[in-house]
Amino acid sequence: MANAFAVELRNVVKRFGDVTAVNNVSLQIRQGEFFSLLGPSGCGKTTTLRMIAGFEMPTSGEIYIDGEPLGYMPPNKRPVNTVFQHYALFPHMTVEQNVGFGLEMQGVDKAEIRRRVGEALEMVKLSGMEKRRPKQLSGGQQQRVALARALVNRPKVLLLDEPLGALDLKLRKAMQMELKALQEEVGITFIYVTHDQEEALTMSDRIAVMDEGVVHQVDEPENIYERPADRFVADFIGETNFIPARVVQLGPPVVVEIAGRVRVPAAWAEQGLSEGDQALLSIRPEKINLYEERELGEAGPTTARVEGRIQQMVYVGTDTRHTVRLADGSVLVARLQNIHTEEEPWTVGERTIVEWDAAHARVLRV
Amino acid sequence: MNDANRSHDRLARWRASLGGWILSGYGVLAYLFLYLPIVILVVFSFNDSRSTSQWQGFTVDWYYAMFDDRQIILSLWNSFFLAVVSTIIATVLGTLIALGLERYSFRGKTAVDSMLYLPVIIPDIAMAIMLLIFFNLSGIGFQPWKVQFFGVKLAVPYSVIIAHVAFNISFVAIVVRARLAQMDRTLEEAAQDLYANSWRTFRRITLPMLMPGIIGGALLAFTLSLDDFVITFFTSGAGFNTLPVRVFGMIKKGVTPKINAVSTLMLVVSLSLVFLSIIMRRRGGDDEPIQFGF
Ligand SMILES: Nc1ncnc2c1ncn2[C@@H]1O[C@H](COP(=O)(O)OP(=O)(O)OP(=O)(O)O)[C@@H](O)[C@H]1O
Ligand SMILES: [Mg+2]
Repeated sequence: MANAFAVELRNVVKRFGDVTAVNNVSLQIRQGEFFSLLGPSGCGKTTTLRMIAGFEMPTSGEIYIDGEPLGYMPPNKRPVNTVFQHYALFPHMTVEQNVGFGLEMQGVDKAEIRRRVGEALEMVKLSGMEKRRPKQLSGGQQQRVALARALVNRPKVLLLDEPLGALDLKLRKAMQMELKALQEEVGITFIYVTHDQEEALTMSDRIAVMDEGVVHQVDEPENIYERPADRFVADFIGETNFIPARVVQLGPPVVVEIAGRVRVPAAWAEQGLSEGDQALLSIRPEKINLYEERELGEAGPTTARVEGRIQQMVYVGTDTRHTVRLADGSVLVARLQNIHTEEEPWTVGERTIVEWDAAHARVLRV
Repeated sequence: MNDANRSHDRLARWRASLGGWILSGYGVLAYLFLYLPIVILVVFSFNDSRSTSQWQGFTVDWYYAMFDDRQIILSLWNSFFLAVVSTIIATVLGTLIALGLERYSFRGKTAVDSMLYLPVIIPDIAMAIMLLIFFNLSGIGFQPWKVQFFGVKLAVPYSVIIAHVAFNISFVAIVVRARLAQMDRTLEEAAQDLYANSWRTFRRITLPMLMPGIIGGALLAFTLSLDDFVITFFTSGAGFNTLPVRVFGMIKKGVTPKINAVSTLMLVVSLSLVFLSIIMRRRGGDDEPIQFGF
């Protein structure tokens, strides 16, 4: 089936005794996609991956590869390969033997193995290291061997469990770029587990954000950041302001009341809210501007404005974090870029008008 | 720093060095206590006299005498054969038990688990009597296994072989299990992920990784079998001697430097095996498995 999903999970549940590690997860991963599973520690990312690989069986639900249900198929029969978090290279074999292991097990003949191992090592820039043992390699090199060992089999799907987790920051950044380029080159579907949001945002075509075994949102990186589906996603990805709000009108346009009696428009309200409910207005700090009364321009239909006082300012290099206190005591943070202008800086205690565009504001359930 | 302080300092240093001296003195005494008998044993095996208390001069005659004694040589072969056979059987069975206990859960696992330590804990004499009763009641008796071993005709009772296997299994299983417990299981998962079935995963990954433990366990079993006296003595019936049993028989007629020579030989072999076993296990210590030619 050419147009089937590369991998599909339907209502997959995994329980370990009392613990529900994966709770009714459904995912549809497209052919050739770089798909990330992102979430905090213990949210069930590894368990999900292990079920696809066949190391764990779902308690209920079904997993499909290319439209075929996997059932109880053992790991050695599945057309997927894994790059393990700590690489799991065989210490008693050379680099060459490690990379060739999968082909050998599939009964590929010796000459062909040599050729393909050579190609794979060239692809990960490890030519000349064939005879070394894993111990004689640096962390980054071991990582490449693990990658070559999996890719040499040309799997339909490559599973990667925090493959860069053990590398230092600089190498990590470099490997992120390389991995992404490699994925585009080989065109294999990657399912990539990470708890590093920056990594997920920069590398992925799409991301599934998980928490406590539940998938909260599946979307492209930009949507995950700009249009979080709920409070968990908004909070987990980047930094955001949650301003206590009351729903006035579900619209369109959506209107909420904040800081006592101030009505502001918003772009979107989460499912399940009704008028009069308590909610949270979510707005990213970099989307907010601060003005003095006399500087204010014309307010459009999507302009939101509320009055406050500067409570604190913290310089963080590219920008300065301004904490503003609203009339009802709630606070919000605005990150203003440090562009050099004639403008006078704000002073603590000064009165200010906080302004943003409704397009960036989302009303979420508490 | 003032004077009082300085003299206080000197006192403290003096005290510390006195403490050091006492401690080293104590250490030396403890080692003397442990090793002096061994040194005496070895020294007097080279004594040019029947006396084992008065030094008369150096000779290796006692070693010649030992090798001329057909009884001793026969018992040496018996010991060696027994150790080889019981080690092979115990190593295979012990490794399987270790794998079973570490990798599978089954009913009665806790019971098997605790019983595994029994032969290690209970006194040899209790084990010996248990086995003796078992051989008498079961009718296995003391029939000998007649074999040619490196051209030497031997008659080794099955009961002794079974007895040696019985106590060796535990030691092998415990050593192998320790190794298995610290083995990284993701290695086996990685092999399965790379299309290896269970058997090939075992042969190509698990077994080579376990090899240091298996060899260590086997060497331990071999040493224990060579050194055993009590269990062999009780389970062999009449007329069968291993080297320790033979030595015991000789001592009844008085200690001669020949016995010292035999003991020295046993000491050297045992020590070499123990060192070898330690080296094997250390080599395996940091996850370095032993290459295994399959
Ligand atoms: N074999 C197991 N037996 C019992 N509980 C398990 C087992 N494997 C995982 N769990 C539990 O399932 C939950 C999810 O674990 P999982 O390893 O999938 O998390 P994760 O998202 O990969 O976390 P991390 O980022 O820390 O690796 C955790 O609460 C964990 O304790
Ligand atoms: Mg994990």
